[in-house]
Amino acid sequence: MHVFLWEMKAQLKSLLIWSVIFIVIIFMMTSEFSAYYENPEMLDIMSSMPEALMKAFSMDGANLTTTVGYISIVALYFYLMGGLYAVLLGSGILSKEERDKTAEYLLTMPISRTRLILYKLLAALTCSVLLLLVVLGSTVVAMLPYDLDNDFFDFLWLMGVAMGLTMLLFLSIGLFLASILKRYKYSGKIATSILMVLYFLSIIAALSDKLEFLKYVTPFKFFESSTLISTGSLSTSSLVISLMIILLGIMGTFLFYPKRDLHL
Amino acid sequence: MNVIETKQLTKFYGKARGIENVSLSVKEGEIFGFIGPNGAGKSTTIRTLMGLIFPTSGSAEVFGMDILKDGPKIRSEVGYLPSEVFYYDKMRVIDLLKYTAGFYKKDCTVRMHELADLMELDLKRRIEDLSYGNKKKVGIVQGLLHSPKLIVLDEPTSGLDPLMQKKFFDIIEGENKKGATVFFSSHILAEVQALCNRVAIIKDGGIIKLDDIKTLREDNYKKITLRGEGLDPQHFEINGITNMTHSQNGQHELRFFFKGDINLILKQISHETVKDVLIEEPTLEEIFMHYYK
Repeated sequence: MHVFLWEMKAQLKSLLIWSVIFIVIIFMMTSEFSAYYENPEMLDIMSSMPEALMKAFSMDGANLTTTVGYISIVALYFYLMGGLYAVLLGSGILSKEERDKTAEYLLTMPISRTRLILYKLLAALTCSVLLLLVVLGSTVVAMLPYDLDNDFFDFLWLMGVAMGLTMLLFLSIGLFLASILKRYKYSGKIATSILMVLYFLSIIAALSDKLEFLKYVTPFKFFESSTLISTGSLSTSSLVISLMIILLGIMGTFLFYPKRDLHL
Repeated sequence: MNVIETKQLTKFYGKARGIENVSLSVKEGEIFGFIGPNGAGKSTTIRTLMGLIFPTSGSAEVFGMDILKDGPKIRSEVGYLPSEVFYYDKMRVIDLLKYTAGFYKKDCTVRMHELADLMELDLKRRIEDLSYGNKKKVGIVQGLLHSPKLIVLDEPTSGLDPLMQKKFFDIIEGENKKGATVFFSSHILAEVQALCNRVAIIKDGGIIKLDDIKTLREDNYKKITLRGEGLDPQHFEINGITNMTHSQNGQHELRFFFKGDINLILKQISHETVKDVLIEEPTLEEIFMHYYK
């Protein structure tokens, strides 16, 4: 158990930095929202925008003048940033031991690699949940001046689950990359690149109907806000796909990392 | 009982050779030297034993347990000091030592402070502020605080000043007297000579010699130096003579190793007109160089 606490301590600084970034961004965006809130002119501006552009940034069908409409648009950026945090956390929490050459210390301690991964995974999960709570909490606090109805909290709940799943998904991708990549030094960069490519795919997916299939490929299309609002739930196919990726990533980590040579 | 036993232990990194068919056994209570130049496979052998890397073929047992199956159990009784120590930079020494102690199922506090006092280690400092030698001291305390039954040292003295080296070897000898087995890899022969009971010499990934340090040194090798006029190396083309060097600096000088019946070489020398004869025990260093030729 003391490994878990040690890892938490090691991750604390980055968690604090990310929390501060999120809080600052959320409050900045919300102060922007005060100009849109219940402002009919905003609706005219939005409807005059080209549809393709709105689609590309998943802003189609969102009503920026309501609290729900507003956070339904920022949700995607929460997923993106949360995913970035998680993928870096996942790849870093394993590969840092090799990068900092502390593997020769930690992995010669009387503990199996499986247990070590388990504690590291627990620490990473805890950090992710804490960051998620910071995001949700500060969103609520920042939006308090506005009239928050049940629709808002319903969507916030769905967004929380979606963001949690997205983070978990990228966390497991990060862990998996760190456990299979020989060039552990690049696992962070590769993980980030994968995330950026997936985000890019989510943008171009909206450009043509032929690229519809991409919505099963990029996690940033799994939990589109417009669907969350219209159906009031997460789509089953996305749920299944993301849970499968999470499971595969974590299983792969437990399978490969204990069996591979450490790069010292 | 053998504390370490490797059988045909082989490790390839892709196509690059690490070690090949290394078979050796280390007996309980001995100080076993493992000598070889850089890149010979010393660290590869040790890292395989410690479970950091996995053998390509062959097997190894520590305390009679398989290194692949019982890694954590084995490591609970092993103290390992790598050639270069790296720790979490932001941590204080005491945090790291307490973290280490947390992995063992016994209370290590007393021994930890004893060792830290002995090595004059400041526990309050951050690891990133420590010099190379001081990090090494942390490594020593960290590796020994749980009073391990097997101490594995990989080129342990680099970075320690002579005074600290002496203290370090005193500690190791003390642990050995208390019953700990020591597996000691080095390329510095003098320290191996001073400390070890048996040695294995490793070259190009394979063990080329495994012996008592005494037999290795005696092994009937004599280092012979002759000086005189008209000495001819051709007169010494006798079986058992190796590494002949001939220098001519005013007078002839012949240096060579001889292994075999000492009377044979004495007879040959008596036929020559010599001014000076020197028959010495070769140092381990010289034997070592001999094996490496």
